[in-house]
Amino acid sequence: MLNNLLYIDPGSGSYLVQVIAAAVLGVAFYFKTFVAWVKSFFGGKKNVSDKEEKINE
Amino acid sequence: MNNLKKHPSSFRDPSGFVFEYEGKLYRQVNKRYADDYDLLLSSGLYDELLKGGKLIAHQALQQNLTGSNDWYVTLLPEQIQFISYPYEWCFDQLKDAALLTLDILQISLKHGMVLKDATPFNVQFVNGKPIFIDTLSFEKYNDTEPWVAYRQFVECFIVPLVLSSYKSTDFIRQLQLNPDGLSTSFAAKLLPFKSRFRLSLLLHIFLPNNISTRRKNASSARHTSFSKQKMLNIIDNLQSLIRTLKPRRLYSVWNNYYEETILSNDYLQAKSILVTKWLNELQGNIAIDIGTNTGAFAIDASKRYKNVIAVDADELCIDELYKKCKTGRRENILPLWVDITNPTPAIGWANVERAGFISRLNADLVMALAVIHHLVIGSNIRMKQVVDIFKHITNLLLIEFVPEEDPKVAEMLVRRADIFDEYNQQNFETCFSEEFNILRKETVSSSMRVLYLMQKK
Repeated sequence: MLNNLLYIDPGSGSYLVQVIAAAVLGVAFYFKTFVAWVKSFFGGKKNVSDKEEKINE
Repeated sequence: MNNLKKHPSSFRDPSGFVFEYEGKLYRQVNKRYADDYDLLLSSGLYDELLKGGKLIAHQALQQNLTGSNDWYVTLLPEQIQFISYPYEWCFDQLKDAALLTLDILQISLKHGMVLKDATPFNVQFVNGKPIFIDTLSFEKYNDTEPWVAYRQFVECFIVPLVLSSYKSTDFIRQLQLNPDGLSTSFAAKLLPFKSRFRLSLLLHIFLPNNISTRRKNASSARHTSFSKQKMLNIIDNLQSLIRTLKPRRLYSVWNNYYEETILSNDYLQAKSILVTKWLNELQGNIAIDIGTNTGAFAIDASKRYKNVIAVDADELCIDELYKKCKTGRRENILPLWVDITNPTPAIGWANVERAGFISRLNADLVMALAVIHHLVIGSNIRMKQVVDIFKHITNLLLIEFVPEEDPKVAEMLVRRADIFDEYNQQNFETCFSEEFNILRKETVSSSMRVLYLMQKK
């Protein structure tokens, strides 16, 4: 039943942070897919979840 | 607005407010929020969240109880028995509240809505699970915009959790001093150098810190368009960061109490049998277990009382109890990290926005087992003061007196000759008899400790 609503000024930098973070994470995503592709190409283990987690962190 | 009291913590959001009327809490939705409220229902978001037990259920009333011109609809939400605050939670409670918030955000996006705020005060623990209580936090999603509450989420959840993980869980308590969140610059100064090499921390803590110091350029980002996929990537990254965080504790005095203590198993067993026997004749709505440790007796009480609030001054104990209740489906226990010798104060605007712990308590039963010596000898609280506080919060009291001959107490008394007049069984009984009737009294076998069941006069 409690509100604690903070109105965040969109110009306060949080927009820019998200734009940059999204770009970096996008690149990390392609890198991750690339690693998975290389692994499967060389017949490596299909399970890349460990690696994925490290990249995600 | 006769018989109507606006809730002191509900004033920041112009979309509506919470008020008390005839002993129940209601929420008014104002006209300006009408479109978003209708969308919440028509998009199917409300139903999906309700089905998953993620959002508090409400009943919509076409009754303008406040008589205000702004009125659109009145909501009668499911009533919550006990409101707790994030700085009373253990690490895993805060972590689960953070994951719930992100989960709700993800589901909202699916239904074309977004969370406009992300504070842990919008989450409560009901039936052992976190639940979102602010029905007015949802608004129409514009997929070209980033998440409006991103910074609030980082400051209210990510920073306290990350500091609890890299430094100490004591940082959860920092939310009491900074209820609006801990800044990323605060975190950046405290975190070790190696944490900069962790991508998610670099993005969500060190990057915002850098940008906030060069704020002038930030507004240009508003013209860069965003996408839903980008937002989902950020949510995904926040989730995996939170899931990998583990609490760091610098010390814990109590967590091995039962395992390492000189107290014998026979004593614990005898006490458990006695407590269970007495509890079997009792029942009620709210019981509070003070100094619960890892909750052995709170679990006993949970079989007879609808809600058990189990408090301890040790965060690790509370965390263990929380996890135990979660896996063991002891849903009616609410473990809280509260030190009864220094309970949570009232904070916020006019000192009434967030109530103090004692003023929120109204119990049918208080259990204070093996606690009295810590209060009177350990913390120098007078016996009469202990009586006063229990009298204030409960009708029934299940209390254990640990006599001065007890090895634990003898150890505490070695350098405390000054307290002998105060701390003995006779004075204990005299002080408590002034306000309570002693219904039962029995010595716990294999010890010199005595259990009492008392009723307020």
